[in-house]
Amino acid sequence: MSSVGRGGKRRAGPPAAPSPLAAKRAQPMPPGAPQPPPPAAAAAEEEDMMDEDVFLDETILAEDEAALLLLDRDEALASRLSRWKRPALPADLVSGCSRSVAFQQLDIDYVIGESHKEFLPNSSGPAAIIRIFGVTREGHSVCCQVHGFEPYFYISCPPGMSPDDISGFKQTLEARMKESNRNSSVQRFVKSVELLQKQTIMHYQPNKSQSFLKIVVALPTMVASCRGILERGISIGNLGSKSFLTYESNILFALRFMIDCNIVGGNWIELPAGKYSKATRVMSYCQLELDCLYSDLVSHAPEGEYSKMAPFRILSFDIECAGRKGHFPEPTHDPVIQIANLLTLQGEAQPFVRNVMTLKSCSPIVGVDVMSFDTERDILLAWRDLIREADPDIIIGYNICKFDLPYLIERAEVLKIVEFPLLGRIRNSRVRVRDTTFNSRQYGMRESKDVTVEGRVQFDLLQAMQRDYKLSSYSLNSVSAHFLGEQKEDVHHSIISDLQNGNSETRRRLAVYCLKDAYLPQRLLDKLMYIYNYVEMARVTGVPISFLLSRGQSIKVLSQLLRKAKQRNLVIPNIKGQSSGQDTFEGATVLEARAGFYEKPIATLDFASLYPSIMMAHNLCYCTLVPPEDVRKHNLPPESLYKTPSGEIFVKPELQKGILPEILEELLAARKRAKADLKEAKDPFERAVLDGRQLALKISANSVYGFTGATVGQLPCLEISSSVTSYGRQMIEHTKKLVEDKFTTVGGYEHNAEVIYGDTDSVMVQFGVSTVKDAMKLGREAAEYISGTFIKPIKLEFEKVYFPYLLISKKRYAGLYWTNPEKFDKMDTKGIETVRRDNCLLVKNLVTECLHKILVDRDVPGAVQYVKNTISDLLMNRVDLSLLVITKGLTKTGEDYAVKAAHVELAERMRKRDAATAPTVGDRVPYVIIKAAKGAKAYEKSEDPIYVLDNNIPIDPQYYLENQISKPLLRIFEPILKNASRELLHGSHTRAVSISTPSNSGIMKFAKKQLTCLGCKAVISGPNQTLCSHCKGREAELYCKTVANVSDLEMLFGKLWTQCQECQGSLHQDVLCTSRDCPIFYRRRKAQKDMAEARVQLDRWDF
Amino acid sequence: MERKQADYSNLDERYTIQGERYQGQQYSHIYYTRLHHMRTLLHALVPSRKPHLPVTTVLGLEKGKDCVLVGTLYKHMKLKPSILDEYSKERSAIPLVKPHNFMHSDDNLILEDESGRVALAGAIPPAAYVTGVVVALHGKETSAGNFLVEDVMEAGLPPQSVLPCINEDKYVVFVSGLSVGSSTFNPLQFQLLIDHITGHLGDENEQTIASKIVRVVVAGNSVHIAPRFLNGQTVAAKDQPRIAEPIKELDIMLTQLVASLPVDIMPGCNDPANFSLPQQPLHRCLFSGASTYNTFSSCPNPHQFDLDNVKCIGTSGQNIDDLYRYSDAKDRLEFMERTLKWRHLAPTAPNSLGCYPYTDKDPFLVETCPHVYFAGNQDKYETRLLKGTEKQQVRLISIPRFCESGIAVMLNLRNLECSTLSFSTSFDA
Repeated sequence: MSSVGRGGKRRAGPPAAPSPLAAKRAQPMPPGAPQPPPPAAAAAEEEDMMDEDVFLDETILAEDEAALLLLDRDEALASRLSRWKRPALPADLVSGCSRSVAFQQLDIDYVIGESHKEFLPNSSGPAAIIRIFGVTREGHSVCCQVHGFEPYFYISCPPGMSPDDISGFKQTLEARMKESNRNSSVQRFVKSVELLQKQTIMHYQPNKSQSFLKIVVALPTMVASCRGILERGISIGNLGSKSFLTYESNILFALRFMIDCNIVGGNWIELPAGKYSKATRVMSYCQLELDCLYSDLVSHAPEGEYSKMAPFRILSFDIECAGRKGHFPEPTHDPVIQIANLLTLQGEAQPFVRNVMTLKSCSPIVGVDVMSFDTERDILLAWRDLIREADPDIIIGYNICKFDLPYLIERAEVLKIVEFPLLGRIRNSRVRVRDTTFNSRQYGMRESKDVTVEGRVQFDLLQAMQRDYKLSSYSLNSVSAHFLGEQKEDVHHSIISDLQNGNSETRRRLAVYCLKDAYLPQRLLDKLMYIYNYVEMARVTGVPISFLLSRGQSIKVLSQLLRKAKQRNLVIPNIKGQSSGQDTFEGATVLEARAGFYEKPIATLDFASLYPSIMMAHNLCYCTLVPPEDVRKHNLPPESLYKTPSGEIFVKPELQKGILPEILEELLAARKRAKADLKEAKDPFERAVLDGRQLALKISANSVYGFTGATVGQLPCLEISSSVTSYGRQMIEHTKKLVEDKFTTVGGYEHNAEVIYGDTDSVMVQFGVSTVKDAMKLGREAAEYISGTFIKPIKLEFEKVYFPYLLISKKRYAGLYWTNPEKFDKMDTKGIETVRRDNCLLVKNLVTECLHKILVDRDVPGAVQYVKNTISDLLMNRVDLSLLVITKGLTKTGEDYAVKAAHVELAERMRKRDAATAPTVGDRVPYVIIKAAKGAKAYEKSEDPIYVLDNNIPIDPQYYLENQISKPLLRIFEPILKNASRELLHGSHTRAVSISTPSNSGIMKFAKKQLTCLGCKAVISGPNQTLCSHCKGREAELYCKTVANVSDLEMLFGKLWTQCQECQGSLHQDVLCTSRDCPIFYRRRKAQKDMAEARVQLDRWDF
Repeated sequence: MERKQADYSNLDERYTIQGERYQGQQYSHIYYTRLHHMRTLLHALVPSRKPHLPVTTVLGLEKGKDCVLVGTLYKHMKLKPSILDEYSKERSAIPLVKPHNFMHSDDNLILEDESGRVALAGAIPPAAYVTGVVVALHGKETSAGNFLVEDVMEAGLPPQSVLPCINEDKYVVFVSGLSVGSSTFNPLQFQLLIDHITGHLGDENEQTIASKIVRVVVAGNSVHIAPRFLNGQTVAAKDQPRIAEPIKELDIMLTQLVASLPVDIMPGCNDPANFSLPQQPLHRCLFSGASTYNTFSSCPNPHQFDLDNVKCIGTSGQNIDDLYRYSDAKDRLEFMERTLKWRHLAPTAPNSLGCYPYTDKDPFLVETCPHVYFAGNQDKYETRLLKGTEKQQVRLISIPRFCESGIAVMLNLRNLECSTLSFSTSFDA
């Protein structure tokens, strides 16, 4: 196998659009203030949009056949094959090509091979062969090799270039190409140059067509190198040296193919009978390997029968490694000891294969095929055999892309098992691993590993979670607690080795755990309907499914834009994204928030899909934009132009209908249809598909605006994005004015309406009425009235009423959310810390409880009392420690952090105490802040919660009071209370303070312990006494108190430990879980300690 | 008149946790011990009840093959409250209406042994069973991987010693739920009971009967202390004496009783005692008056004793109340009957009933069949003579709360017959 280097110069990846979210986050501009960069300018989404030519290695491996012997040798393994294999092909497909073959494609790539002699009799030499992988309705796997599709791009034909000059141009280009690709064996680089009449998408152009040259090259990577040559300049005959702007020259070859053949991600493709042939040399492990010409493919639009899903095979797996004490497992040292696998057919509720491969013996597990091996080599090869024989279409797992898959491959390398990494569907092609970084405004910077497994889609649930949900922790444990309502037991990696080194029972224990980790990703996949949603998204936006996880938003918009442009005979220029600080535009408007606690209903008027509808209403597009100098040139009448509030000019749809509005119209119309169908649909599967579709459509529509604003993007056009936001601002102001003008006592209404706050696309109105019902009536009336003043399809909708409403500042509010006048739906909060990671649970509970008391119970004094009690509990050391734990991820080791951070310092200290259990890079470090010497740095005050529990170390209540709870609390209470700070944080409840005595501090070693009276703390002289002589009379009372305390502890102990037994799913085995993400982990530990102490306490009474 | 006497031997040793030292152990040991003990018993039943059927483990199951499995039941319950609910993401807007019991039609049973778990289907109604019961099941594994139960074998009543022949009437009085200090407590009613037992009330006939009372058993919840005093917050100095007030009052009353006959007092869930079972005896320092008499004995809960060789065992009711929350039966006596047949006083401990984490024993196993089995603090008085397959006879007594019903239960040791002592202080009753 060989692969050519990347041709041409490496382009600083075409960045993507900021998400609609990011766009909405834009701040309003205070007049005169320096302009902050617009959201778009900061959006740098690094995407590696490069084709990589992989040459087909046509030597069929002999070792390949030998490797399978492992299966034959072992009879038990061989018998498994029958369960793993796909259904057998029907006879007519085995023998001939007499019927058409339809399949749902999942992955499309290309490979360089010798051009097909039958289909392309006129060409020779290396050519790109498109490979489509998919599954038929019957569950047969298909690999379709498509021939004849060639890479190309456009340049504008320089004026004065005659058709005769073209052949000369072609020769010059060919020569230049040869020069820069000296090592290539390709004979002809430029296949053809053709003169075409097309039009650029940029700017409105009354005269319809221009001349373009379509340049077809031999291999996909040559597009880039050819583009480089043309951009730098080339001399053409008598016209002299010229440099060219290229068009559509940065499109991945597979995507180009999909666009030209009208293929969208995950749709059905049919090969008509007689138009394909069976591959003469079988190169893949697919059941059907077919060749055909690209023009013979039939691509079905995903509608009706073709909207269904084929029965893909989904493999969910998890590996366990035996790490050394104190180290996170590394493939260079630590063996893979178990691999658990579940194979499920798409649409089925239960997996049809469950197995676990273990190193050394393992006791059987009910319903699971346990395969034990003596060497690691056998495990790895057995797993490869499973992949090959069971032939999964989609491989899922949790963190498989960054950990499991690379680990297996690197481990095989260390063990020198050369035949292991043949996991793809192509016979002799090894899995390739490389590091990638993915950087997007919306998703943030992520380092990842890209493992190429040809023909199989990888779907890492961790990546999907990080993309689609904002969670405080992304551990599998907390994710499954969040979505599945289940706590998962977590076995610390330091215990794993102990379990492995035990006996077959302890290894069974580990296997059960490993299986659960393999099962949860599948459950998440099902629960969140990821397959439906992602296939729908791929179909709507037209990109392959694999792009959805690995790339940003912009490729989706680009794919749609290209498809539309092709229909209109437009070409898209390849404009280099340049991030200059100059191009800024004003963001969205946020009307001033009138902070306060509103005890009258607040109606909320929302613009439905504001930005998309603005673009539609005003026909904003690349092809309708008129540069100022062109207005006079084209002599355009003012009545057929839109002048946007930001001063840009666009033509009205009569002259030219924009492409973007058309894309948006289609997306929104499709969404409307999907929503209507959703209402009708009864079948849960159908509903799942439709719901996935409408969501995908909504997200896609919203990302179009961002695409135009991404200054380092594919095709930035700030004229469009700044126009959109300026219209948005104008409309919010307009709405505010209309509401406040119309709904007045003068106008015949009971009260004067007041706009108290306005966000990007919504306006909050206090109509002054006191019931939700009246507010809804007026809200509806206002929405209808104001909608009438806007150009279609801009529409103001009335959806909800907030009552009561606590408006803290802009972007921060809380309220009860009503959509019907009888009962509120939920409590809605925005911008109030309840889920932030670096807050302890106490803050979250306090804020939630206060909001609940204020909003639901309407009991402000109660909320104040609650805060006071909590603060008093905190100062009196009565707060459950787990509420005080702060967690931060350890991403690098201590030396790599520039500034000393609490969690890093702690990890360092813990390593000195016990290297085995100390957190390592990649772990999350939980800590609490403890009392330390005066003047100690904040980072020195962090401590391991377990250590704190074991040694009675006092926590620092002041830190929690000042740095954790005060800010969020004051934010909530300031609109409500006059002297919130004095009242809450400095009242009499803060006077009593209790601090526990550490049991291990230096000074305590010299202290003499003396018993004190339990009643009055007086020192008792006698050895076996509980009370002093003064308190003797209160004996019964004091005993009651002690025993009540013991009784509470016992109750808690029972509840906590039985819960852990429940999670673990076994009564007869000890709980091993050390999941620090579990909310009861520290309480459980504390309960254990308290239990022992409680007995000592009670024993003191036994005299 | 002279008061009758009966030989009393206290068998509470197994319920004291004096010698135990907590060393971080968990609950798995107690289940393990229970399963181990019960398995021997159940295995012995198989040859007579299910001859020719192989006994296997969950792991050894083979599809479609009839066999007998022995294991601990686990009932998966949708509505079972969990401590994790405190941490659930969203506080529900509607306050949870606490159901009297946590049953749901989706509840399902799972059988577990050391080798694994298997879901149960077929002839085993989830409503009648709870987590922690050890049973033997006859059935077979289905293709879905479930175990289809055909027959359930419980251990049944344990062997019983012969009921001793007592040729005169001797009575034991059982009372529970005095709740001294609560709003429903009526001091006069309690005084009437004391006066009746001590023989200060009634005509000669009644006094004769009273003289035949040989012992009083107070089965839990004798006092009621306002929870606000015990929630850990500082109590104002003026309130401090009020905490012990109900206890002092109880002590005065008990002193009158112990002056004339032996009294056993057991702790209940509201008493100043520890929470988890077995509850340890109420501390003597609480009863400065009564504890000076040697007729006063403070006992644990459960409490087990022989009176003239009549074997009595009973609880303050927590075990039965917990069964009521997690399973279904026609009355409280049926729950009591089940615990005997399961040979375990409190199968739901530790799962939903607090319990000390024993390492080497399960004190709640019932090894010999009692003659009298009582449960305190129940809604109403009920009694039944349960007869076993091996001629065992057990008097089951559900003792009502005295503060609500004014009823104490009188048991005749001669024939195990029960009657009630009912006291009322209102005129129209």
